[in-house]
Amino acid sequence: MSRRPAKGDYIETDTGNKVSRKAVLVGTQNIMLGGKTVIQPEVMIRGDLVRTAQAQPPSGGSAAPPNTTAVAIGRYCFLARTVLLRPPGRIYKGVFTYMPLRIGDHVFIGQGTVVQAASIGNHVYIGKGCVINEFAIIKDYVKVLDGTIVPANMVIPSFSIVAGKPGRVVGELPDGAHDEFELRDLYKTVGNNPQPAAA
Amino acid sequence: MSLSTPYTYIQCPCSDQTVLSSGNALSDPEEDERTFDPKAPRSNYSLYPLEYLLYCEDCQQIRCPRCVTEESVTYYCPNCLFEVPSSNLRSEGNRCTRSCYQCPVCIGPLQVGAIQPTTDANLLPTQYQTNPTGGPYALFCQYCNWTSTEIGIEFDRPSGIYNQLSKINNGGKPKLTLRDVKDRRKDNPDEPPVPDDQVDADLQFAHLKAFYQSRLSETNTSIRGLPLHDGLGFSSPAALTRIMSLYTGRGHQGRLQQGPADIMREALGTNDGLKIANLDESKEIKKLINGGWDATASLEQRKEQTEPIRFEDQLRPIAYLLRSKRSKRCPACRHIISKPEAKVTSTRFKIRLFAKSYIPTITIRPLNPTATPAPVTYRPMVQEEAPLKPHQPYHFVVTFKNPLFDNIKVTLASPNATPGRFSSRVTVLCPQFEVDANTDMWDDALKDDEKDRSRKADEGPEVGKIWEKGRNWVSIVLEVIPASLRIDQQPKKGNEKIDTSPLKSGEDILEIPMFVRMEWEADTQADMDGPASKDKEAREKRELAYWCVLGVGRISQE
Ligand SMILES: [Zn+2]
Ligand SMILES: [Zn+2]
Ligand SMILES: [Zn+2]
Ligand SMILES: [Zn+2]
Repeated sequence: MSRRPAKGDYIETDTGNKVSRKAVLVGTQNIMLGGKTVIQPEVMIRGDLVRTAQAQPPSGGSAAPPNTTAVAIGRYCFLARTVLLRPPGRIYKGVFTYMPLRIGDHVFIGQGTVVQAASIGNHVYIGKGCVINEFAIIKDYVKVLDGTIVPANMVIPSFSIVAGKPGRVVGELPDGAHDEFELRDLYKTVGNNPQPAAA
Repeated sequence: MSLSTPYTYIQCPCSDQTVLSSGNALSDPEEDERTFDPKAPRSNYSLYPLEYLLYCEDCQQIRCPRCVTEESVTYYCPNCLFEVPSSNLRSEGNRCTRSCYQCPVCIGPLQVGAIQPTTDANLLPTQYQTNPTGGPYALFCQYCNWTSTEIGIEFDRPSGIYNQLSKINNGGKPKLTLRDVKDRRKDNPDEPPVPDDQVDADLQFAHLKAFYQSRLSETNTSIRGLPLHDGLGFSSPAALTRIMSLYTGRGHQGRLQQGPADIMREALGTNDGLKIANLDESKEIKKLINGGWDATASLEQRKEQTEPIRFEDQLRPIAYLLRSKRSKRCPACRHIISKPEAKVTSTRFKIRLFAKSYIPTITIRPLNPTATPAPVTYRPMVQEEAPLKPHQPYHFVVTFKNPLFDNIKVTLASPNATPGRFSSRVTVLCPQFEVDANTDMWDDALKDDEKDRSRKADEGPEVGKIWEKGRNWVSIVLEVIPASLRIDQQPKKGNEKIDTSPLKSGEDILEIPMFVRMEWEADTQADMDGPASKDKEAREKRELAYWCVLGVGRISQE
């Protein structure tokens, strides 16, 4: 990340990411940001929890450089205050290893939420105070209401509204709600030169 | 309900039966005179946020989830995301048969795993020895730690759980299947039928199904299409065939045939699927005395089970119910107005006519907000507006954004006093205005310079003038004087008795009913009428009118 002259609360990268100076990004070399992503103060991303057991390279072929991405985040994501992103871990062939955590585009994660999912699709809204447990898979266009606990390994199909402890599908998104997930406008309200928040 | 204000709800015309039956998009002028009370109990069923609404281009009318007719496009399992063909649905039912289960205790997803031997040597001797293939296996809930071993169910293989489970009873004993019963009968034809307490719902259903199939095959009468009440009686095989064809959607293929109305006999014994209700509950009472409350299953747990059960040790893993993707038709003209792509993983639509692409989006904000905007590092937190003080004028900016590629003329009408017990005063300062067309997106860049042109700085809202205007939007100002919520301060209306009951839930929210009429000129559709409509100048006057509700804020209870 190239740094501009140090001033303001945010580090704004060339690809348009706005990362709060008070966010804690551990193992930055293993964290991929797609661009135009906002990371608010006190967010923690555990890029240090990188996969230890590598997939076997095809026999005979030259070993490809190991993929060390621990957390991959797409474009126009928004991580509100005190969000924790933590790659999930499990025993794989007798050894404990972390697996990458992948997040798509236009994903909003609310304040205080902990995410240990295997993957989160595009256009996903996760409310505040949620826990997305290990290896959960959330598909595109899903809304997780505040305070939900999504159990480990749960699969949430597209167009679901999820709530509860444990989380379960409680409703279906209305067809017309799909572009409400767009986070372009929200992106503009944060940063060193923010626009006023939308009314 | 804790609604956050402000909000806008729109009324679907289906709540007014006269409009729907005549299929007329336009309401006549007299109808506009009627008042609409958003707090009336009936209104709950017709008010929707804009994103819930669809639009029929043929009827030129709003359609809502309540009035559209739905058709399944695809069935799929919400857990493994496999598509289930509708033929399987008929033969195997509406649950996933691919080892997808939910926890009967907490409803979380279940995982198949090997039962691990206890590694701590100080504990009890290992109950299970892992064999070379890794088994035995069980279902595990990672949310509440329930496992199928608690109900005595283990599996030899980690796959095909559905089949394995259909052969084991709780406790591990094999489940009696129709085939077992038949084999037994073949070996010992004189043996009495299975006692009722061993007949579970699956076996009973299998018996019943076999019984009716054999009845039906004995008679080949087919009189599909004949009314059921024509002296046949519901128990005649023909009537049954017809009912079955109605429910499986395979009607109309049989030929109309007048046959003798032969009455079919009903199930008589266990082997026909007859099961006598067991009214002796002494066994259950004894179990309840021993196990107490903790041994019973909760109501929520019981309603997810397919068999009627009472105790926790009778719970069985719940196979996932299938989910569907559905298309939606207009109730009046039957045209499809929303149709998703059939593929389970696709989120695209083949057809979708959203109301928000046809009618303006209405947003409300206070002209002088009391809440300070959230600091940048705390966004998107929204600061709640302070409650509205009674008898004090407030101004709200209401913005109409036009989604159409034509200019629209908007006319607003709103009662001077809101309906209901606590009647607030409302004035729309500019009830008639035009909103420009939704032209190319890049014009948006000019929006900000254009914004304030219609208004000089420091100037308050003026009657008859719009507040702000942009590319495809116009803002107007609404003046509101909230009513007092004190019961003793209600003005007397003639001889009417004043309702002095305490404040009901939601009554403190100031909701303004507003009638919106939009008029525009659209290109006549280059349609099937042939060359006559090729005239480029042909413009067609269109009009759409509907009620909406603006929830502007909460009134303070002082
Ligand atoms: Zn409707
Ligand atoms: Zn499944
Ligand atoms: Zn559970
Ligand atoms: Zn129609």
